Amino acid sequence: MKYSSTKLLGAAALSASLLFTGCTTTEETRTVDARGPDAINTSAINSQDWANAADQLTASLLSSSALERAPRVPAIMAVDRVINNTQLMVDTDLLIKKIRVALTQTGKIAITNTLGLGERAVVASEAAEMEEMQSGKKQKTILPDYTLYAKLIQQTDRSGKMTQNTYAFQMSLVEVKTGLTVWEEERQIAKQTKRPGVGW
Amino acid sequence: MKSPRSALAGVALVAVVLLSGCASNVNTYERAESQAAPNYISDKRVITDNTLAGTFRVVAINEAKVSGNLLKIQATVENLKNNARHLNYKFEWVDADGMSIDSPNETWKGLALQGRESITISTVSINPRAVDFRLKFRE
Repeated sequence: MKYSSTKLLGAAALSASLLFTGCTTTEETRTVDARGPDAINTSAINSQDWANAADQLTASLLSSSALERAPRVPAIMAVDRVINNTQLMVDTDLLIKKIRVALTQTGKIAITNTLGLGERAVVASEAAEMEEMQSGKKQKTILPDYTLYAKLIQQTDRSGKMTQNTYAFQMSLVEVKTGLTVWEEERQIAKQTKRPGVGW
Repeated sequence: MKSPRSALAGVALVAVVLLSGCASNVNTYERAESQAAPNYISDKRVITDNTLAGTFRVVAINEAKVSGNLLKIQATVENLKNNARHLNYKFEWVDADGMSIDSPNETWKGLALQGRESITISTVSINPRAVDFRLKFRE
């Protein structure tokens, strides 16, 4: 009788330990395509949204034939202000860099890094100044043919438990010589989030 | 005696109302004889997901050159079902040597189609070396 109850207790302990082992979860990390559908979707702008917006804006610019009227190939472009009017604290280079890479790869645009409000090539500027000092000749700065201006806007609408965040990506290409906007585009990404029924 | 008949009629009415509520099909109207002259291309299809192929159909693919030498591809996709469906698609580019050209912006993109709706998806290659493309779909 005693032997039997000890055996029973042992079996129960074993079962319990197996059960608890089964409940233990370990941290799991996997590598996903940052621009793919496996990327975590939130009410904010995720990596897939940035890539999507950049692709749509680039495709629109290239389809517009605005660059076909450029005074030279590659045309020189400077990045103007990129205004972030969303509630998100984001680095706008998540959008602008993708567009810069895409436009540079076309061979139709070269982006100046010594003018404009985008990323600045500090070492290149210093090297140019050094060259001027050593040679005694004034370096000729190539002025841009175009400037790129962008603005991000967020609009939030609520209805019951549903919240919709609409992000507008606005972009303009301005011809420096005339001051005219030769291309403009706006693309929107809308994200709906439903609040859970019971909150704590 | 009339009671079962009227009950049946009531059930039928409710069913019609319910089914109408679920339908989100799209009616489309266009010029009978199109003035556009798209450059359609013949395509090769590799189907590994028959359910997906039974839900969406690629009606046509056409191409054009933009900005002088950049290839633009447009595909017309049709939702074969009577309710709204979601689809992911991705374009890939290939150069004359058959090498894949990576593009920072060619990603999986989401697409929502209403019932029986046809829409066009398009992209422009950012690399002038692109001569071919691959279009992939997944649910």
